[in-house]
Amino acid sequence: MNRSDFSMILDWERQPSPRDLLTLILAGGQGERLHPLTKDRSKPAVPFAGSYRIIDFTLSNCLNSNLRRIYLLTQYKSQSLDRHLRNGWSIHNPELGEFIEPVPPQRRFSTNWYDGTADAVFQNIYLLQQQKPALVVILSGDHVYRMDYRPLIRFHLEKKARATIAALVYPRRLSSFFGIMQVDSNQEVTSFVEKPADPPAMPGRPNESLVNMGVYVFNTETLVRAVIEDSKMDSTHDFGRDVLPALVQGGGIYAYFFEKEDGTTAYWRDIGTLESYYQAEMDFLQENPPFDLWNPNWPIRSYHPQVPPAWIAPREGQVFNSLVSSGCRIHGKVIHSILSPSVFVGENTQITDSIICNDVTIGDGARLRKAIVDKRIKIPAGFVVGEDPEADRERFLVTESGISVIPTGTLFD
Amino acid sequence: MRDIGKMAQLLVVEDERSLRELYQLELESEGYEILLAKDGIEAVELVEKSPPDLIIMDIRMPRMDGLEAMGKILDRYKKIPVIIHTAYQGYKDNFLSWNADAYVVKSSDMSELKAKISEILTHKKNR
Repeated sequence: MNRSDFSMILDWERQPSPRDLLTLILAGGQGERLHPLTKDRSKPAVPFAGSYRIIDFTLSNCLNSNLRRIYLLTQYKSQSLDRHLRNGWSIHNPELGEFIEPVPPQRRFSTNWYDGTADAVFQNIYLLQQQKPALVVILSGDHVYRMDYRPLIRFHLEKKARATIAALVYPRRLSSFFGIMQVDSNQEVTSFVEKPADPPAMPGRPNESLVNMGVYVFNTETLVRAVIEDSKMDSTHDFGRDVLPALVQGGGIYAYFFEKEDGTTAYWRDIGTLESYYQAEMDFLQENPPFDLWNPNWPIRSYHPQVPPAWIAPREGQVFNSLVSSGCRIHGKVIHSILSPSVFVGENTQITDSIICNDVTIGDGARLRKAIVDKRIKIPAGFVVGEDPEADRERFLVTESGISVIPTGTLFD
Repeated sequence: MRDIGKMAQLLVVEDERSLRELYQLELESEGYEILLAKDGIEAVELVEKSPPDLIIMDIRMPRMDGLEAMGKILDRYKKIPVIIHTAYQGYKDNFLSWNADAYVVKSSDMSELKAKISEILTHKKNR
């Protein structure tokens, strides 16, 4: 066999088998703008929608799309993420070639930590060398969305692309925080700019832009050459800022439109800030949530503690328009809020528009409005937050829109 | 400014002594200044002391192989060009070898290696 003719590109006509695909989830972000929720944990490990963590959405997408060979590139404060993976996601069978494995920086060659998303992949080229997949799917650990990756992969093969970028049709006025693409009639990307002040519009759709979701399919060879080339540059080693704009120059990069079946834009949220975190959580309290957590064909998996069902006290216990997890005991009033497992709500309390994490106790007579209460906090009886923003700001971090955050470890006397 | 094309300093990393001597002789006659290392560890140490203009790197060597040494060197000095110079074709399939600027299979005729060196140094000078 002529080894120099070695090509890992799939036979384009063939459906990829699981062994042809390797998934890398970038889970190393520091999440500074989510502080203090990221005080003791990485962004993907932040609790979400009561019984989940943010990473569960991407991992469930993988599971439901049959991507079962997954490395999570982790970095900061990964202990709680590691524990969550062990507790909730030890479901793959290594004997069948399936795995979900966290990979912190190994410093094999480098003396540094991961310095940007492209560097995280560059430092792990040896993993690609060991696995030799035909295609690499690159995902992010801090997005909330429901996506079947199989049509994306099919699109990539049909186009015989070097790389495919999943793209969202997004309001142009909100697009300057993202990478923006322009495409030709065949959906080949003709330009890619990261966070432009004035995002280019889509042809014939002046109010919309095509946004990079941070979801990619690469031919392995394209990916390896791209991150090696980037490693020699004085760049920020970022896919959006450095690698993709350079790749687009060489052609063969396509944009896959992430849409619902009716052609409208599907739900996708990058959980970057406390505001976007809060808003995304509140989205799941709508009567028609962004996507269905109850869909039996698309279960969202997580780790569930062994606690009894939620219990609501007679008469004084009242719950409206809320997500209430197992193990909760509610003696007061809960309105438009999200309760993680094992929250105790005392008598004559009122909790409105709030997010309460695991094992929080809320004392009798307390009133919470627009609050995020992190794990294991004991809120004393009669405590009030969310009614006087000035007073709240002296005690807690309060966001611009008035969300108060009570971090883990807060003690009250 | 010195003329990189002729006065350039090359580091030859090669575990076999006779080959080291041969390459030194041949490349000095081309006008290059030659540094020698007999394995990856020595190469990494030498580069730390004085980064050369180009490295010619064997792969199979005792103690530390050329792919590992190249990774360590490029992490600190990402702009030094490296030519992999090995008796084997097979390492071309190894992604770690793609980090090099060129891959030359050893041959008694050194013209390919010499041409690559000159090509890369010229390119580097014009960059």
